Amino acid sequence: MPSILRRPWIWAWLAATATFAVTVALGSGRGAAGLAYAALSFGAFAAIVGVGQMLVISLGPGNVDLSIPATMTLSATLALKAMDGVPGTELLGLGVALLVGLGTGAANFALILLLRLPPIIATLAASLIYQSLAIWSNRGLRVKPPEALAEFATGRTLDIPNVALVGLLLSLAVWVALERGVWGRWLLAAGQNPRAARLAGVPVERVRATAYLTVSVFAAVAGFLLASFSGGAALNMGAEYLLMSIAVVIIGGTSIAGGFSNVPGIWGAAFFMFLVVSMLNTYGAGAGARSVLTGVIIIGIVIAASTKRNHA
Amino acid sequence: MTHDKLLLSAILIGSCGLAVGGVAQAQDGASTADKRVALSNNYAGNSWRQVMLQSFDETAKQAKARGIVAEADSYTTSENQATEQAAQIQNLILQGYDAIIIDAASPTALNGAVQEACDAGVTVVSFDGIVTAPCAWRIAVDFEEMGRQQVDYLASRLPDGGNLLEIRGLAGTSVDEQIHAGIEKRVEAHDDFRIAGSVHGDWAQEVAQKGVSGLLPSLPDIAGVVTQGGDGYGAAQAFEAAGRDMPIIVLGNRQDELQWWQEQYADHGYQTLSMSIAPGVASLAFWVTQQILAGKDVPKDLTVPFLKVTQETLDSVLEETPKGSVANTIYTQQDAQSVIADATTR
Repeated sequence: MPSILRRPWIWAWLAATATFAVTVALGSGRGAAGLAYAALSFGAFAAIVGVGQMLVISLGPGNVDLSIPATMTLSATLALKAMDGVPGTELLGLGVALLVGLGTGAANFALILLLRLPPIIATLAASLIYQSLAIWSNRGLRVKPPEALAEFATGRTLDIPNVALVGLLLSLAVWVALERGVWGRWLLAAGQNPRAARLAGVPVERVRATAYLTVSVFAAVAGFLLASFSGGAALNMGAEYLLMSIAVVIIGGTSIAGGFSNVPGIWGAAFFMFLVVSMLNTYGAGAGARSVLTGVIIIGIVIAASTKRNHA
Repeated sequence: MTHDKLLLSAILIGSCGLAVGGVAQAQDGASTADKRVALSNNYAGNSWRQVMLQSFDETAKQAKARGIVAEADSYTTSENQATEQAAQIQNLILQGYDAIIIDAASPTALNGAVQEACDAGVTVVSFDGIVTAPCAWRIAVDFEEMGRQQVDYLASRLPDGGNLLEIRGLAGTSVDEQIHAGIEKRVEAHDDFRIAGSVHGDWAQEVAQKGVSGLLPSLPDIAGVVTQGGDGYGAAQAFEAAGRDMPIIVLGNRQDELQWWQEQYADHGYQTLSMSIAPGVASLAFWVTQQILAGKDVPKDLTVPFLKVTQETLDSVLEETPKGSVANTIYTQQDAQSVIADATTR
């Protein structure tokens, strides 16, 4: 088998390319450029939260952040309320979003470390608090982002959506940290065997803390961008990113058992998740058929990617 | 002396008030002053539900202050789960409420708990998310009619017909099915219309924006967009981002949608129609419940009118709607009486 097929990320990209081709063909060749642009825009949000989730999942079995949707909603709600649509407050908004991310990340990790709660329980319980805070802080009123920020979020540079550029930048930073940095080695070592890593002198708890902070900050940034992109924060805006963040990690070839991460695969998977819905919508599939087919396709890719990896 | 006179007049005025109150009560049936009412709500996570809860609290507080009911509290479950809401209803029965008003997580899954409430002599009134248990009252919206009216409006604006894009709601819900059925029926009747594409927007701007953006590149020119509420602005943004001609998008009464419409109208005379169920339907449910508790003969199935915004009413509705909220109407006791009268004569 050619070595390229052994790369775990290749299956997500093959699937994304195939769905793209089928969608364009179904639309009788129209709008390939428009579809690619839309995939880049919407894929970026899934990729940002996916890269964050990947870091946590790489920490090994049981590690996952289920508070991503609530963090997105809380960060977007508080940031947009702080800006209140006033021009010149964009940095203030970003600052609020980042603080929310740091705050929820720290709270999550405190629950996990101090109370020794399993991450699934800790982040799920914490997310109820974050969501309630978001409801309580603004009662679901939709505040518009400042115009310049909305223009940035929906705009493009060199024909690439700005949100995708932000996503690529964040992904690149994580990729470098994982592939070239000591921290990345520590993270993967902790994910492969925390006991061995600890005995080898890896500051496992510090590495875990950084991972949980990073995923929350990434979710906060994604929420902030999404609200700016779509004209305001809504209380249910994060809902679809819970399963999405986990799906793109798995489809992208990151091992659910931890200790092995893969940034390029996240992007392939994020495009795929957007394109498969577009493809089935273009085909005119009903909601039921669409859900079933999406599930079947995802299972197919995960099986393909994991068998190849095991035999490699 | 003056003191006594003051006291006397105070007593006189007071008893006049009592007398007037007595007359009003005679008109409205038995007194409900000692009755306790609870709202069981399954979900609070969007702006419509938030305004709905506010409307209920506002109405309940006023009714309490006027001595019409003894207590009116609202309870919301955290997880939008039928099992959780059923347990909540059982708790409310044990707490001895005289009536439970329900916005239900499921039309059928709560029927057991609802039956228990009825057996315990509790009046159960469901609205928006209704329950099918025969002992409960239902305040429902004619969602099919909502679908039909959208297509009929587009037909009046687009006599030559054209391609339509349909944005559907949350898959698998009865509301989505009903609005869709109404749309489908009228599209069949108007030969010149064709549904060129359909996406599920889940009644959320972000989801609709994403779905439409993914489908739009493969679609021909779109003349009109039929929606379910909460998704129109997202669709408009998707059309704008793709650089496509703006179709007539039927909106769903959200403030940001209405403001966008007003801007588009000022800019190039863009016209459309907006309609949705007003979150104030909770206040209607409250008054209907009060009427039932007062011993009025109320049919089990009632219909709420939907709140429509037209070009003529746009400016005034927008002015009354708080920024980022949903256009609303608070219903009064008289409104409830006329809705009941309509249902009785039908």
